Amino acid sequence: MLDAHDRVTGQVPYVMDVAVPGMLHAKVLRSAAAHARIVRLDVSRARALPGVVAVLTGADLEARSDLFPYFGPVFRDQPVLAIGKVRFVGEPVAAVAAVDLDIAQEAVDLIEVEYEELPAVFDSFDAVADGAPLVHSEPPRLGQTFADVIIHSQAGTNICNSFRLRKGDVEAGFAASEHVFEDTFTSPPVQHVPLETHVAVVSVTKAGVTCWSSTQIPYILRSQLAEIFRLPASKVRVIVLTLGGGYGGKCYPKIEPIAAVLAQASGRPVRLHLTREEEFVTVTKHGVSIRMKTGLSADGKILARQSTCHFNTGAYADIGPRLIKNGGYGTGGPHSIDNVWVDSYAIYTNLPPAGAFRGYGISQAAWAYETQMDMIAERLRMDPLELRRRNLLKNGDTVMTGEPIEDAHFRELLDTAADRIGWDFTDWDNGRELVDDGRKARAKGLSCIIKGTVTPSTSTAAAKLNEDGSLQVMTSAVEMGQGLQTAMAFIAAEAMSLPLDRVAISSVDTDFTPYDQQTSSSRSTQAMGGAIVGAIDQIKARLLELASDQLEVSPDDLEFSDGRIRPKDAPDRGLDYGEVVRRDRAGNIQGNGTFQTKGGLDPETGLGIGSVHWHQAVGAAEVEVDLETGHVKVLRYHAGIYSGRTINPVQADLQTEGNVAFGVGQALYEEMLFDNGQLQNGNLGDYMIASINDMPPDLDVGVLENHESNEIHGIGETSLPPVMPAIGNAVYRATGVRVLDLPITAEKVLRGLRARAAANDAAAAESELEPEGAAA
Amino acid sequence: MIDHSNGNGAGRAHEAGGAGGEVAATATGDGDGRIALRLTVNGREHAVRARTHHTLLEVLRSPQIGLIGTREGCGIGMCGACTVLVDGRLVSGCLVLAAQADGRDIVTVEGLSQPDGGLHPIQAAFVEHTGFQCSYCTPGFILATKALLDEVPDPSREEARDFLAGNLCRCGSYVKILDSVMDAKHRVPAAADAS
Repeated sequence: MLDAHDRVTGQVPYVMDVAVPGMLHAKVLRSAAAHARIVRLDVSRARALPGVVAVLTGADLEARSDLFPYFGPVFRDQPVLAIGKVRFVGEPVAAVAAVDLDIAQEAVDLIEVEYEELPAVFDSFDAVADGAPLVHSEPPRLGQTFADVIIHSQAGTNICNSFRLRKGDVEAGFAASEHVFEDTFTSPPVQHVPLETHVAVVSVTKAGVTCWSSTQIPYILRSQLAEIFRLPASKVRVIVLTLGGGYGGKCYPKIEPIAAVLAQASGRPVRLHLTREEEFVTVTKHGVSIRMKTGLSADGKILARQSTCHFNTGAYADIGPRLIKNGGYGTGGPHSIDNVWVDSYAIYTNLPPAGAFRGYGISQAAWAYETQMDMIAERLRMDPLELRRRNLLKNGDTVMTGEPIEDAHFRELLDTAADRIGWDFTDWDNGRELVDDGRKARAKGLSCIIKGTVTPSTSTAAAKLNEDGSLQVMTSAVEMGQGLQTAMAFIAAEAMSLPLDRVAISSVDTDFTPYDQQTSSSRSTQAMGGAIVGAIDQIKARLLELASDQLEVSPDDLEFSDGRIRPKDAPDRGLDYGEVVRRDRAGNIQGNGTFQTKGGLDPETGLGIGSVHWHQAVGAAEVEVDLETGHVKVLRYHAGIYSGRTINPVQADLQTEGNVAFGVGQALYEEMLFDNGQLQNGNLGDYMIASINDMPPDLDVGVLENHESNEIHGIGETSLPPVMPAIGNAVYRATGVRVLDLPITAEKVLRGLRARAAANDAAAAESELEPEGAAA
Repeated sequence: MIDHSNGNGAGRAHEAGGAGGEVAATATGDGDGRIALRLTVNGREHAVRARTHHTLLEVLRSPQIGLIGTREGCGIGMCGACTVLVDGRLVSGCLVLAAQADGRDIVTVEGLSQPDGGLHPIQAAFVEHTGFQCSYCTPGFILATKALLDEVPDPSREEARDFLAGNLCRCGSYVKILDSVMDAKHRVPAAADAS
């Protein structure tokens, strides 16, 4: 990375390092009830504490006509502070700004609150049952949102939103099928656990709002703060420094509105930085149950698939209404299937809000379809590699959303994965290797996935060529460790024909850096890279005009080379870029670029352009299962991914290796455990994320490029979804234990092993009792 | 001692209150509950005032000292983002009370750089191998590597893995972190010879 020096010396500043003169420190009182009316909230003792400058409750905000105290990227259903009632344990109820953190915390402890508990609902099926308590009694308030969002909400129920896909005739497909299989798969809520928790510093004056935030979505945050304060967007400034990890969790406003209303009330800048425990109840990955029915011909060709997905979106919609679309259509998988039917629901419950999470619904979908692929292969007594090969999308096939795919590489990726892991399937009764005197079993598993990127979407960039010929690029794309700034610098340097050290990429400041939709969806290298090239094209066009005049050479006869513009036939007569700028007294030369994709899905059929292009990845795992403890260790893993064109190979490796770490954690350990809505393991002592010892000792990353198309495919997320099913499939072949509900904990494996042993014993006893020859 | 194991990882235990000992006699409370402390941080002496419940991490980051390379990740000694060396021993800054560090010699990531502003060989190895993504955890890993190499100058890859299991990297840069450490062990003696 370009700022590597500052990163290894600890000098790179994060938003938590921002200190503004006069800054106060905030603490939040959070709900202890999952669903309750607030019957009494007394903040008088907190207000009276010396050093406290502001204390706010939802009632205070509601009373203000100059404030709109709700936010949310699709529905404005989340109050800045609970208004009237609370909907999950951990919901912000009151907030304090004080001269230091100790006093803020002391003040929070002095707040008295009484709840009248209401019936609560935590499970997404319970939430849609007749007579279920309603998490929201009012229909959700829709606000300005993304072009690709499809809304089918059902007021008076807990169905926050639904999405349907109807491709072909699924009933006819099942009727024509020789085999039909139906299984249910679940994934639990998990937390992003960025090591930097959410942090914001906000100042609100008559001139406007300034917000430093560790956010992935500066422009959406800007518009939501403008909405809350009823200000034009031009009066809100969002500044983002590098993030200490995001993984989707820092998409959409979370804590900024609280800091902002406190800043306004106190007349001073306010800093709010969550504790790890607070981070755990701020946003989660969606827990989901997916019922998947798949019909196949006698020779193993998938003819129809029907999926019903119950995504638990928690107490507030966040981006759930959109995520269920991707997670829903995602169940179609990387398979060519003529008949696909999906019903996907975002369901309100009294759990913390679920939102964007690396993989964006595809991890959950892939856990279902790639686990089921192996289950089907076994039932058909087929090689799971061969079953996949028969069904993978090829160029010209239509994906689940109906558009043809033109850049399909699934087969090549999967064959490479099989080769690298040493796939040696013979039959379903063999395939495991016993080691350690039979105490441990080893086996291999495969998976393959498809993922879209948000479509349509827009990114813009500005650039200026300075008077010394150096280039400055201004964007609102967020660096969160993925190496985006470095990738953008590579792209800009190449486009401008400049050495890398002559290019600088700005950090994000919405007062100066132009619009970007979001740093998410593995889109930024392609989208912002495209916008940067557009901006540089404008600069080069102007530079060509000026140099043509100055050198008296036709523009057609000039070329750019290493910071100079020169006649093709007389390279020595060239001028430095800076010289051209100075001779013209242009000051600098500016350019603007826009990258925009088109597409979207029909709201009724779910068909259309699901993604501007399709991200593709495979996984191959070899695991070792301790048959006495059920403990799973991933010995080897191959992560294969299609990148189109790789901008920075080191960063591509890092992102992919990071996905393996994420995936191993989610496969084996990660799960948020709730008891009546109360999180039981919301800290890093009780919630396990992958350590260095959980990494497969033999980890192989394969990045597949296509030098013909040269199109950049984002790789931030794509290699994550294959990890969990590849491990699950390997565990099954090692043990005969099929876990359908993530994570694959040692307890579940051991329970499965014992159940199998008991069943074998019973069968053996049975056969001993049978009279000889009865089996015939 | 806090067992730092995670999943299957045994991990090297960070020491809770590794600086040990009682609050030194110089620590006396004042009207607002603050006590005066003297800490030597990266060779420079600091006289600070802290409340008795303030951690070493908080005091290092406070404007009184103002070093931002030591970071809180979990607050309970599990993630290693706040790793510092106290009298040469590796500790989690969030588990050590500032008062326990009174009179101690503390090294943070800022203290590793060379007098001329150049990188410490371990830092150089992390740059060379890009042993980080968001780099929030990086100072902790670099100090853990220093402690490892001080203790075991030529660790095997497995030894290095086990030692580093107490530091978490959520970006999952572990492969390149380990590459950095295995390279750093060759660089560190070279640097020592040169000096």
